[in-house]
Amino acid sequence: MRRGSLVSLLGIGLVAGGIAAAVALLIPWLPPVASKERVRIDDVFWFTVVICIVIFAIVAAVLIYSVFAFRAAPDDDSDGPPTHGNTTLEIVWTLIPTLLVTAIGIFSAVVLAKNDALGKNVFKVNVTAQQFAWSFSYPEAGNVTTGVLRLPVNRSVLLDLKSLDVIHSFWVPEFGQKEDTVPGLHTSLHITPTKIGSYDIICTELCGLGHATMRSTAIVMSDAAFDKWLASQKKAAGGTSAASVSGAAVFKNNPCAGCHTLTAAGATGKVGPDLDKLPQWAQQAHQPLESFIRTSIVNPNAYVQPGFHPNIMPPFSSLPKPQLDALVQYLIQSSKKG
Amino acid sequence: MTTTSADHHVHAAPPVHHGPWRRHLLGAGWIRAAWMTALLGGIGLGIVLVLRWWGNWQPIWDGQPIVLVSLLVAAPVGFLAGLGAFDYWVYYALGKPTRPEDHSGHGARSWKDYFRVNTDHKVIGIQYLTTTVVFFFVGGFLAMLVRAELARPGMQYVDTQTFNGLFSVHASLMIFLFVIPAFAGLANFAVPLMLGAADMAFPRLNALSFWLLPIAGIMMVASFFAPGGAFACGWTGYVPLCSTHQPIGAVFFNQGVQWAGASSIMTALNFLVTIITMRAPGMTFWRMPLLVWANFTTSLLVVIATPFIAGSQFFSMFDHVMHTSFFDYQNGGYPLGYQHIFWFYSHPAVYIMMLPGFGIMSEVISVFSRKPIFGYRLMALSLMAIVVLGFSVWAHHMFVSGMASWLRVPMMITTLLIAVPTGIKIFSWLATIWNGKLHFNTPFLFALGFLSMFVIGGLSGVMLGAVPIDIHVSDTYFIVAHIHYVLFGGSVFTIFAGMYYWFPKMTGRMYDERLGKLHFWLTFVAFNLTFFPMHLIGIQGMPRRVADYLPKFADLNMFISLASFGLGASSLVFLYNMITSWRRGPIAPSNPWRALTLEWQVSSPPPVFNFTEIPQVVGSPYEYGVPGAQHAILAPSRTHETAEAPV
Repeated sequence: MRRGSLVSLLGIGLVAGGIAAAVALLIPWLPPVASKERVRIDDVFWFTVVICIVIFAIVAAVLIYSVFAFRAAPDDDSDGPPTHGNTTLEIVWTLIPTLLVTAIGIFSAVVLAKNDALGKNVFKVNVTAQQFAWSFSYPEAGNVTTGVLRLPVNRSVLLDLKSLDVIHSFWVPEFGQKEDTVPGLHTSLHITPTKIGSYDIICTELCGLGHATMRSTAIVMSDAAFDKWLASQKKAAGGTSAASVSGAAVFKNNPCAGCHTLTAAGATGKVGPDLDKLPQWAQQAHQPLESFIRTSIVNPNAYVQPGFHPNIMPPFSSLPKPQLDALVQYLIQSSKKG
Repeated sequence: MTTTSADHHVHAAPPVHHGPWRRHLLGAGWIRAAWMTALLGGIGLGIVLVLRWWGNWQPIWDGQPIVLVSLLVAAPVGFLAGLGAFDYWVYYALGKPTRPEDHSGHGARSWKDYFRVNTDHKVIGIQYLTTTVVFFFVGGFLAMLVRAELARPGMQYVDTQTFNGLFSVHASLMIFLFVIPAFAGLANFAVPLMLGAADMAFPRLNALSFWLLPIAGIMMVASFFAPGGAFACGWTGYVPLCSTHQPIGAVFFNQGVQWAGASSIMTALNFLVTIITMRAPGMTFWRMPLLVWANFTTSLLVVIATPFIAGSQFFSMFDHVMHTSFFDYQNGGYPLGYQHIFWFYSHPAVYIMMLPGFGIMSEVISVFSRKPIFGYRLMALSLMAIVVLGFSVWAHHMFVSGMASWLRVPMMITTLLIAVPTGIKIFSWLATIWNGKLHFNTPFLFALGFLSMFVIGGLSGVMLGAVPIDIHVSDTYFIVAHIHYVLFGGSVFTIFAGMYYWFPKMTGRMYDERLGKLHFWLTFVAFNLTFFPMHLIGIQGMPRRVADYLPKFADLNMFISLASFGLGASSLVFLYNMITSWRRGPIAPSNPWRALTLEWQVSSPPPVFNFTEIPQVVGSPYEYGVPGAQHAILAPSRTHETAEAPV
C-alpha cells in the first residue's frame, strides 16, 4: 500500500469516527438517570458504543476510500489483482473481534450480577399487572393497594411481579430495569432509586387493545416523606369501614383509568366506553343506571356497548361490597356532573 | 412478457381422448381448482358437523372449528389438488400410468405457463419472485398505514384493534411471504444453473412448495376480513394473548404460518438433495459458488428449525380452538414454553433471512469488483459457524421474559460470539473490494448499501447482546430500528441486488440502469431517515407496538412517518423499472456482467434444460484476474432452437 493512500484512509477513518462520535455525544441519547442500576447500564452502553464507533469508522473508511480510489474507468474491462486471501489478516480480524466481544461480555456479566444483587433492608412491593393497568401493594403497610407506585429514595427495592391475564412488562426508562409479568409465574425486578421525582411506568409487552395507554407513575420520595405516607396508609388500612371508603379512591386504586374516560377523575382512556356518558349508555341498554353500572363492573360481558368487544374488560367480582357500593355511587355522581 | 426459451422438441403430452368440455372440467387447471376448492371445503364442513353431531357437542354449528377445518385446511388442499399439484403422485399411487417423459409442465412459452403447476426451476423462481413482490407491496402498504396513524400522538385513522392488526400482518407478510420466499425464489432460479444441473432434484415437490405460498399469504391478509378483525398479537404471537384473547383472525395466522413453513421445509430439502447429489462433475464443495454454500447452510437451518415454529403454532391454535391448555397457566400450561419453542425457530430464522443474502453479496461483490472472493474457505466456514452458533442464542430474545436468570449469561456469550463469523464476512467483502476495478451498476450499489447498513444493524445487535443494555431497550423502538437495519438494510437490500443482478438472465432483457440507481439512492436515503431516529426514541422510552405514545415523541414520529412515505414511494420506482424493462427493455446478452459462474455461460434466458451437456467444472468460480483460469468447460453452445432435452 502506498503512503499516500494510507494517509487518506486514516483521514477518512478519523472523519467518519468523528462524525459518529459527534452523533453519539451531541444527541442526548439516554433519558435522565434515577437509579443505581441505570448508572451501571449506562456504563456498559458507553463502553459498547465506543467499540462500535471504532469498528464503524474502520468499515466506513475502507468503503468510502475504495469507492473513490478503485472506481473502474467506463471502458476498463480489465480485472483486479487476483488476491485470494491473506492468512495473517484473516487471523487478525477473527481474533480482535473475539477479544472485543469477550470484553463486552465480561463487563456485562459483572454489571448484571451487581444489578441483581439486593442491598440491605430491602423494601418489597407486590406489583400486579392486568389489562390495562398496574396496581401496587405494600406488605410493609398492611398490603394497602395503590394505582401509583411510591418508593423511598436510596433503598433497595424488590418488585414482585405477577399478571392476572396476559404478559405485560414493567419499565421505567429512568430506572433502566425491565421485566415481564407472566401469568402463573412470579418474576421480580430490583431497583435502587436515587433521585426524588416522578417517572412514567410503561408497559412494553404487547398486551392487547389498551397496551399503548397502559401507563402509571412511579413517585420516588424522601425517607421522611415516604415514612409519613406509609404511616398514613397503615392507619387507613387498619380503620377501613364502609363509611370511610371513598369511591374516588376505589376508582384510582383499580385499573379503571387505563381504559375509560372519566373527567372527574382525570381519566382519559379510550379502550372502553366513556364513563362521562354512563346515563346515556344505561338508557341505550334499557336498564336503570345503578344496576347497569353494578352489573357492568361485576360481569362486563352481560351487556357489551355497541362498537366495543366482549372479553376485553376483566370482571371485578372480587371487589369487596363496601368498595363496590362506593364506586357505583361515585360513578353515578361523577357521570351526572360530566 | 418474455418466456424462458421454448423447446420445440419437448415431448408433447399424450393426447387425451376426452371432449373439450370434459377436459376443461376434469383436467388440471383453474376450473378444476375452483370446484375442488369448493368441494373439499364442503367436505371439511361436513366432517366437523358430523363429528360434532355424533359426539353431541353443542352447539353443532361452531364457527371456529368450521373455519379452521373447512376454510384453512381442506379448501387449500382442494385448490392444490385441482391445480394439479398432486396429479403425478396420485397416478403413481393408484397404479395408473404416469408420464415421466412428459415435460408439458416444464418451461414457459406464454404468460399462462406461470399460472400452472410448472416444474421448471426457472419458472418457479420467477413465480416465487413475482408473488413475493406482490406481498412486499401489500406489507409495505400496511406499514404506510401504521406510520400514518403514528404521525401524531392520539388516535386518528384506525382503532387499536385495526392498528395492532396492521403491524402484525405487516411483519408476518414481510417475513413469511417476502424475505424468506424471495430468497428461495432467487436460489431456485440460480442454484441449479450454478451447479451445472438440469433442474432441482425434485421438480414436482418444487412446484408444490411454490403453490403453498399464495395460500399462506392470502390467509394472512384475509384475517382482516374475519369477524373481530385481523390477528393483533404481533408476528411473535405470544401466548396467552394470542391463544385466548384474540378473534378468530389469530387462527388465520397460526395456519398461514403452517402453509408457509411447509413450503419452506420442502424447498430446503430440495436444495439440500440438489446441492449434495446434483453438482456437475468436478464441482467439489470447495468449488461451489458462495451463493450455493449460503443456500446449503440456510437449508440446514430451515430443515432443523422450522418444525419448531410449526409446533408452537399448532399448540397455540389448539389452545384457541380446542381449549387445550398447553400454554394456559390456569390448567398447568406454561406460557414461557411458547417463547422458547418459538424462538428456537425464530432466531435461526433471522439467519434464514440473512445467509442467502450473504451468498448474493459474495457473487455481486466479486463480479463487480473484478476480483476473487477474499478468503473463500473462511467465508464458507463462517456460514457453517453461524449455523451452529445460531441454534444456541435463541433466549437472547427473552432476557426480560422472566425465564431462569442463569440462562442469560451463556446466551449472551454465544450471541456476542456470533458477531465474529459475521464480522469475518464483512471484512472479507471489504478486502475483496479493496484494490478492485469497481463497476457501480445497480446490484453493486445495493451491495455497498448493504455493507454499510448491515454494519450498523450488526453493531446495534452487539449492543443488544449485552444483557444490561438489552434489559433497558428490550421491546422499545430501538428493537424496531435494529430489526429494520438488519432485515431491510440487510436482507431486503440483498434481495434488490439479486433481483437486478439476475434480471437479465431471468427475462432476457436489461433493466433500466438509471432508474435502478435512482431506486437505490431514494431507498438508501429514505431508509436511514426512517429508521435511524427510531434508535433514539426507543432508548428514550417509546415502547414498540403502540398505537399511541407520549406527546414528547411527537416531533420525531412525524419526521419518521414523512420519511417512511418517501421510502414507500421509492419502491414504486423499482416496480416501474421491473415491469417496463421486462416488457420493453433492450435484449440482454448472455453474460452482461462478464461473470464466471455457470448460469452466465448459457443464453439469457437459459434453455429449458439449462445445458446442452452437463458442464465439466475445472476450477474456482471466482478466478477474476487469474490468467487462463477457467471455472468450467461447456459443450460448444448451440442456439436454443436446436437444443435437445436430455433424457
